[in-house]
Amino acid sequence: MAVVEINNVFKTYHDTEVEVKAINGVALSFEKGDFAVIVGPSGSGKTTLLNLIGGLDQPTNGEILIAGHRLSELKPSELIDFRMDHVGFVFQSYNLIPVLTASENVGFIMNLQKWPKEKRIARTDELLSSVGLADRHKSRPSQLSGGQQQRVAVARALATHPEFILADEPTANLDSKSAESLLDIMEKLNHEEKMTFIFSTHDVRVMKRAHRVITLEDGKVVSDDVRE
Amino acid sequence: MITAIAWKNVWRNKTRSLIVIAAVTIGVFAGIFSMAAINSSVVQRIDAAVNEELSHIQVNTKDFRSSADIQNIINDYPEVVAAIESTPGVTGVTGRLIIRGLASTATKSAGVEINGIDVEREKEIFTISKKLISGTGSYFETDTKFNTVFVGEKLAKELNIIRYILTPEAIASLKEESMPSDIVSKVETLQGQRFISDKKFIKAYEKILEPGEIQKYGWKIKEAAWSYREGSKIILSFLDIDNNQTGAAFRVCGIFRTNNDMFESTSLFVPIDELRQLTGMKDGAFHRAIGKLEDNDITDKATTEIRQKLTDYEVLNWKEIQPDLAMMADFMNQIYSVFMVIILAALAFGIVNTMLMAVLERTRELGMLMAIGMNRRKIFIMIMLESIFLSVVGGFAGMAVSEVVIAITGKTGINLMKYSEGMEAFGYSAHLFPTIDPQFFITTTILIVLTGIISAIYPARKALKLNPVEAIRGE
Repeated sequence: MAVVEINNVFKTYHDTEVEVKAINGVALSFEKGDFAVIVGPSGSGKTTLLNLIGGLDQPTNGEILIAGHRLSELKPSELIDFRMDHVGFVFQSYNLIPVLTASENVGFIMNLQKWPKEKRIARTDELLSSVGLADRHKSRPSQLSGGQQQRVAVARALATHPEFILADEPTANLDSKSAESLLDIMEKLNHEEKMTFIFSTHDVRVMKRAHRVITLEDGKVVSDDVRE
Repeated sequence: MITAIAWKNVWRNKTRSLIVIAAVTIGVFAGIFSMAAINSSVVQRIDAAVNEELSHIQVNTKDFRSSADIQNIINDYPEVVAAIESTPGVTGVTGRLIIRGLASTATKSAGVEINGIDVEREKEIFTISKKLISGTGSYFETDTKFNTVFVGEKLAKELNIIRYILTPEAIASLKEESMPSDIVSKVETLQGQRFISDKKFIKAYEKILEPGEIQKYGWKIKEAAWSYREGSKIILSFLDIDNNQTGAAFRVCGIFRTNNDMFESTSLFVPIDELRQLTGMKDGAFHRAIGKLEDNDITDKATTEIRQKLTDYEVLNWKEIQPDLAMMADFMNQIYSVFMVIILAALAFGIVNTMLMAVLERTRELGMLMAIGMNRRKIFIMIMLESIFLSVVGGFAGMAVSEVVIAITGKTGINLMKYSEGMEAFGYSAHLFPTIDPQFFITTTILIVLTGIISAIYPARKALKLNPVEAIRGE
């Protein structure tokens, strides 16, 4: 069964009197272990598509299924819990909670899900080790570099074993070395844990590593290349 | 977790939070301390009224108060005393003869209430014996063959038995009290002169001292110069049991000072046996039985019980005799709440502003929290808690500062001697010892938490209306 199934989805915005078709009949599916990037020029609908997949926004038409659940059937409150349980988010500007340490940021969602303390600490330690930040667990975001903050964000996204991770321009604010290092970690997680990654990006470094490149233009899929 | 994050969020912008906390601290301190100061004057007034003037419960015949007829005595006084004494909470009972009359000296006279008292029993009920002004004699301990009377300072002044003389000893006492030498030098020019009233004495020192110096040291100089014409006699005139005019000379055995000018100028005390003898009343005759309770709080309960036992008599407690005092005590509680609500309402606007800024600054972060699974209820609670923490930290700091300042000033007192004339005319002390009921702190805590909650509603609603997609984009 596909992790994500997008069936003929439309998203239309009404900006004053102008109708903007941000997503115009997209049909895609992502399997477990995909390492896919969505590319396209600015305004092509990449971020909108990611928001729809993540349940942050609702399609105007069509339907999206995550691990067999129809997002349109979920109430807003259920959608929040669904996101917490099934989707991992990595944002362009890291978006860590500045008053919490690296380990507290990683443990944040587990805390919301009321994990037992011992289990939470063990999982946090495991994730920080896997992103190479075991020694920085007590550091606050302001004490970490951009690359390190993004690695903490990846660890946070992975914390509750989501179905997949949505990463919106995750390398956009990083220097080459940090970007490569972050992609190494994501690639490793994809290989070793079969974690599904769906990126939206302009970054060629991400595109080079992707197994699948989906190109969007004017809200439509114009190509979907799978690499061996 | 939410609580911990909210607490940490409060300290994100330390300067801003500290300013709000300082504002709350100052507001709460100002509210509590001013109430403690005002409350102290009421508490001191009630204490003085109960311990010096009225005691807790008074029993007399039903028309004694209105007629003040000398023949309105309590016929079965021992039974009345027994009924009062057997009431739970009663710690003592005394009896008085109360006669209206005229007090005169060679030059002055004044209408007075002559209280014939059982000297020893009165000491258990009233503290008036402790109000004796040092150097004016004693509380009926003078060994004399004359009738004796214990009078108030105000009456003594009115009857012209008080003098102001700056003796060498008085000047020396001013030096001992660390009065600046230039002031002492000026005052020394009045040494040895005798002034027959305080007005004349004040007029004299106003000529040699600057207004600022008078304001600061005037009352001390007056206190040092105060002198009493020893062995003064006053004539008390009144009606006897047969309604015939009678009277006698009484030697002033001592002068007392309270904070109630009215009481000082109208009440005087003589031994009850002397009064009985002069009025021709028999032994054991009393106009009033007065009961003392262990606590003001049981006044109503004890009154009801005594009233049930003594249906043929008028039984009144201090609240009923002076309803203005009871009303003041209740009024203070009400005014305190209103006062604090006004202060906290003003502070709430500051908290709303701070929280609104905090929410707007964190739009992206709040959007992210919603995106990754923090529901709106938790976000609402987080913002609420931040606001409550701000007000509670400031509130507790304000209460702590108030507690310390009240403890200090409660011992040292706040001297309002400048206004003593006006305050003492109404029975209020010009030396305040701030005190506050612990209940006020509970009320304050509740009001502060409510302020925090109310202040958070608007910013929290603002946060709830955020759309995660737009918020993450930073729009």
